[in-house]
Amino acid sequence: MAKTVLELKNVNKTFGKRKVIDNISLDVKEGEIYGFLGPNGSGKTTTIKMILRMIDLDSGEIRVNGYDTKKEFEKAMECIGAIVENPDMYKYMSGIDNLKLHARIRNIDQKRIQEVLELVELKDRAKDKVGKYSLGMKQRLGLALTLLHKPKVLILDEPTNGLDPAGIKKLRDILKEISHKKGVAVFVSSHILSEMQLMCDKVAVIDNGKLMKVEEITHSQEKVEKLEIRVKETEKTMNILKEKFNIESNLIENNIEITVQTEEVPKIIKELAIADVEISAVIPKEHTLEEIFFDATEGGKKDE
Amino acid sequence: MSKIWKLFVNENIKTWKKLSTKILIIVILIALIGSLAIVKIAEKASESNQSTIDSIVGDGKIFLEGAIKNLEEELQNEQLDEQTRESYERQLQTYKLSLKYNVSPYKTSWKSEAIEKIIDSETEMATKIEKILEEDNFTQYIEIQKQEAKEEFDNGIIREQEYKDQITILELKEKYEIGKNEDDAYWRTALLTQIKNAQTSLRTGIDTNNYNKKVLTVERKQELEESILMNTYRLEHNIPSIEYTQNFRTIYEYLAPTFVVAVIAITAMVMAGGAISTEISSGSIKFWALTPNKRWKILTAKILSILFYIIVITLVMAILTIILGNIFFDTQAETYLFVKDGNVVELGNAVYLISLYFAKLIPVIIFALFALMLSVLTRNTAVAVSFSVAIYIGNSIAMAIINQFIKKDWIRFVPFNNLNIADKIFPNASNPISFATDSFATSTSLWFSLGVLGVCAILMLVTMYDSFNRRDII
Repeated sequence: MAKTVLELKNVNKTFGKRKVIDNISLDVKEGEIYGFLGPNGSGKTTTIKMILRMIDLDSGEIRVNGYDTKKEFEKAMECIGAIVENPDMYKYMSGIDNLKLHARIRNIDQKRIQEVLELVELKDRAKDKVGKYSLGMKQRLGLALTLLHKPKVLILDEPTNGLDPAGIKKLRDILKEISHKKGVAVFVSSHILSEMQLMCDKVAVIDNGKLMKVEEITHSQEKVEKLEIRVKETEKTMNILKEKFNIESNLIENNIEITVQTEEVPKIIKELAIADVEISAVIPKEHTLEEIFFDATEGGKKDE
Repeated sequence: MSKIWKLFVNENIKTWKKLSTKILIIVILIALIGSLAIVKIAEKASESNQSTIDSIVGDGKIFLEGAIKNLEEELQNEQLDEQTRESYERQLQTYKLSLKYNVSPYKTSWKSEAIEKIIDSETEMATKIEKILEEDNFTQYIEIQKQEAKEEFDNGIIREQEYKDQITILELKEKYEIGKNEDDAYWRTALLTQIKNAQTSLRTGIDTNNYNKKVLTVERKQELEESILMNTYRLEHNIPSIEYTQNFRTIYEYLAPTFVVAVIAITAMVMAGGAISTEISSGSIKFWALTPNKRWKILTAKILSILFYIIVITLVMAILTIILGNIFFDTQAETYLFVKDGNVVELGNAVYLISLYFAKLIPVIIFALFALMLSVLTRNTAVAVSFSVAIYIGNSIAMAIINQFIKKDWIRFVPFNNLNIADKIFPNASNPISFATDSFATSTSLWFSLGVLGVCAILMLVTMYDSFNRRDII
């Protein structure tokens, strides 16, 4: 059983009359990438700032690696690495100098600085002023900063902002590496669903300060798969599926949706082809986050 | 502790890497070089004035001959009344004697004094003095005066104390040869007169320096006694007093600290005013907020780094002031005299200037703390800097007006009335540009002022720590 390293218990916060965080409780375990989803203004950043004690709690308790963030602030913060909002560093200093400032505070040697620079692929530009960096480079430097002291809990607020697709892939690889291999708990907030889908093991959806849903994400390597089959002869197809494979299918907007074992997919396609069904497409559908998300946030009504 | 030290080191690295810090240092350097340039320009102008005066005045002999001729002609006039005639005759006699013994009418020496004495004395005495003048015997002249004083004392014309005082003055004259040469510096005679006046005040118990002829207070009495000691010390060690000499080095050594510290104050307020607010607005504060350091440690490191910056800059500027003074002036460097346990202590130029700089720095620290407090409270650099700089510049004028009209006791507790710490630490400092700063509200003691400022600093610190600890970082 993995240890819980980040724990929120009945956390509440009110700004003026508005309740921004409404009784949120959640647990993040070692080696887990935990997605924190929500529309803009739902309270994601506020929650993160509360974990880091930049914002005080009205009530509730937050523990990091077992340490209460109020009573044992410094011990708790030893275990955390975080980027909140933007990675704002000193623009008039070089990347490496920025890292050195933090290294001094946390007693970290030169070797580790070089290690993280290599990890985020910033070695060549380390001596340039941060003011000259692109947003993606700043994000990467920010990540280097948070990784410097090998934290137990990594908290990232919208980490993919400004990264190009290659950068996003790299970030994903880094996060998977440190969480799955080194047992770091990663807590990522985002509103970009596709990324979270690829990255996270578990997601929590927050809306209007309330925790709506917590769900494990199943990845496509798993045995059961959801398929969308596009055919003209829908009725015929559904019959074949029912008779030969004993599969219940749903008709959604003239497309057939089924849930099957992965190894059965080729057989189904073959059978349909023999029966002269004109298949225009077979699309594998994951149990998407989009569904979870819109389900939890009432169909994205907030976007209006 | 080591955590605060590390944060402090970080703050200093940040400070020195900033471009604005370098610009501020250049501005401070300009202030120093500017004050040197101003004094140098004034010196040049004064030199050319002096040569103009010399050329107008010309030779003393020509003047004497002309004046004698004029007076003789005037005396031919039958219609002159008794009084004028008498004074003319006296004048004529003086001029004739001056011509005879080659005494310049433009300069003061013992000889001009002796000539006066010849005219005033009986024949016997007059011949005696004339003989001394012929021999050019300064010591003999002093001796005669001593004898005279003794006679007066023996005859009961003067009391013992007055006799003693007179002898002291004569001995000083003799010892330091004051007025022996025609080219003797004026300040020496002037200081001797000051000593004489102080003696008179102490003897009679009435303040002769004061126009209102007040009875001496205990403090004033002590002041006068100390002034005698210090003036004697000046004569002994040949240290001119700025009141009677025009030493441009003294002006420079007064102007430079005043000007440079004012600029340091403004740069310190710019730094302190932005210390917290720029980090909050740029977002970089978040990185510190999530390091394992409680917020008060972060703020403490900031305060210490600002203080460190101010102190280092001031020290460097004080040393530069001394070096530039030595390079650009050949005249005597300013020293500071004070009396401790009845002995005169002289602070050397370097020690005095460095301590003067730091004395002037105390109010600057208060203003820097004020700017920092505003920075923490408003989180707005523009407000914090402009507000504190405005108060720094405007407070003296505002308080001068307020002090004129509010004559209540509490006015002394107003912090702005206690900023003149340097004047209180160095009350005897020469001030070539005199201001009428003495008022009821500002004439409090050094410890009182330090106390008021200390309370002020503590209140500001408590306010900023409380706000910084408690307010959310959004």
